Amino acid sequence: MSKIFVITSGKGGVGKTTTTANLGVGLAMRGQKVALIDTDTGLRNLDLLLGLENRIMYDLIDVTEGRVPYKKALVRHKKYETLFLLPTSQVKDKMAVNPEQLVKLCDEMRKEFDYILIDCPAGIEQGFKTAIAAADVAIVVTMPEISAVRDADKIIGELGRADKDTIKLIVNRIRPQMVEAGDMLAMDDINDILSIDCIGQVPDDVKVVTSTNRGEPCITMKDSQAGQAYRNIVGRIMGENVPFMKFEKEGFLARLKHVFGM
Amino acid sequence: MSEEIVKIKGGAAGLQLSFAPQADFGAIEAELRRRLESGSGFFLRGTLVLLPPDVLQDNERTALQKMFHKYGLICRVARSEAKTAVKTVKKQPEQQKQAAPPQPAVQEMVVVNRTLRGGQEIKTPSSVLVCGNVNPGAQIIAGGSIDIRGTCRGLVHAGAYGDTSAFVIADHLMPTQIRIADIIARSPDKQEKTERAERASLKDGKIVIEPIER
Ligand SMILES: Nc1ncnc2c1ncn2[C@@H]1O[C@H](COP(=O)(O)OP(=O)(O)OP(=O)(O)O)[C@@H](O)[C@H]1O
Ligand SMILES: [Mg+2]
Repeated sequence: MSKIFVITSGKGGVGKTTTTANLGVGLAMRGQKVALIDTDTGLRNLDLLLGLENRIMYDLIDVTEGRVPYKKALVRHKKYETLFLLPTSQVKDKMAVNPEQLVKLCDEMRKEFDYILIDCPAGIEQGFKTAIAAADVAIVVTMPEISAVRDADKIIGELGRADKDTIKLIVNRIRPQMVEAGDMLAMDDINDILSIDCIGQVPDDVKVVTSTNRGEPCITMKDSQAGQAYRNIVGRIMGENVPFMKFEKEGFLARLKHVFGM
Repeated sequence: MSEEIVKIKGGAAGLQLSFAPQADFGAIEAELRRRLESGSGFFLRGTLVLLPPDVLQDNERTALQKMFHKYGLICRVARSEAKTAVKTVKKQPEQQKQAAPPQPAVQEMVVVNRTLRGGQEIKTPSSVLVCGNVNPGAQIIAGGSIDIRGTCRGLVHAGAYGDTSAFVIADHLMPTQIRIADIIARSPDKQEKTERAERASLKDGKIVIEPIER
């Protein structure tokens, strides 16, 4: 039986797809059987991050509309053999899948995989409602800036309303120098507002971009800081007690309060 | 706020409890114990607590009474007056209208046991107790007063229907905007996290904030 995670954020562009790809590869690297489901119909790019675009034959909509069984639509990763992608359609829109269909599909897939990760579209509309429907755990991705944290707060509220009570936080694109200078929110400020369990702090790292372009997530790169952060998250997801990386200095919190600028 | 398991109404006689219709007894008991243990202001020793009539089994009622006694409260089952009243109304509507004594002003209290997040709103003619934070982008509009056992960063409006004696209390009072009756104050553009619980109320037509002990 698998554990189903949805990776969501509210605000767009904070790193949901990047997180999904990295965690998927990371779990597969540790021998887990993993399925990634892209629910960002019409704006898919999980396949790109994994370098699998040219192997797609069928998509999520073909499956939910009953044209093919899901196994036919799965794309196996070329390097990590226990990692599979269920891509979505680039031509349809979010209305093409409803929550019930995704729940039914995940119930079927549960038997086959250790982990199912669902990449959620931005926003709180139908696409979001569909993506979260089947999840056991929601991972909320945010960035250390006011608008992203506000949207994360809103999303946590929406998740609560949908009875999704297991919610974890990942803070992405942290820039230690900016935090130190008081130009970016510090972890304490974020925790103060969101008050949910944080399972990851990922630094801003150019290797994320270069690795994206190569279709190989940075979690595979030994010398990538973000890669290390993602490896730590994978450990935590698998139940290990991994300490957080240190890239913040203590003692600057007091100066930061104004950044929240009510 | 349909999801509140336990509602507390403060009347002349004591605290009248009512329970959400679908809530099971275990949840009600746990919720009451939590509130008793958290020492939240209403459950002062010696207060009379009235259980709703006709909703509890005998053993459940005894269990709750024992629990309240342990915390020094007196617990009884309210008489089901409401029902008889309804019957009378049906039989002799006019007479009932005349005979009805003026009801003592009953202040109802809405209790919210979670953090209110951006985009969430509580709107009620009664007073509000929040055991959690009120985050930026969340708002509370209350006819009565507002008590927040946590940090208030949202918008709070007490006495929204004109009650100028209404107030707002929070462990950390740093709201975006605070309104009491028809008076509005906004937060300073830079705000430090307050160390002590504070209370905002109206004095001479102005909102004043003062530290309190609790
Ligand atoms: N830790 C990081 N360091 C540097 N760049 C990052 C990091 N995380 C994400 N990015 C970059 O941010 C951009 C947005 O990331 P991504 O597509 O994963 O976000 P998303 O939340 O899925 O966006 P959308 O809402 O559009 O689906 C990408 O260009 C990605 O390379
Ligand atoms: Mg995306």
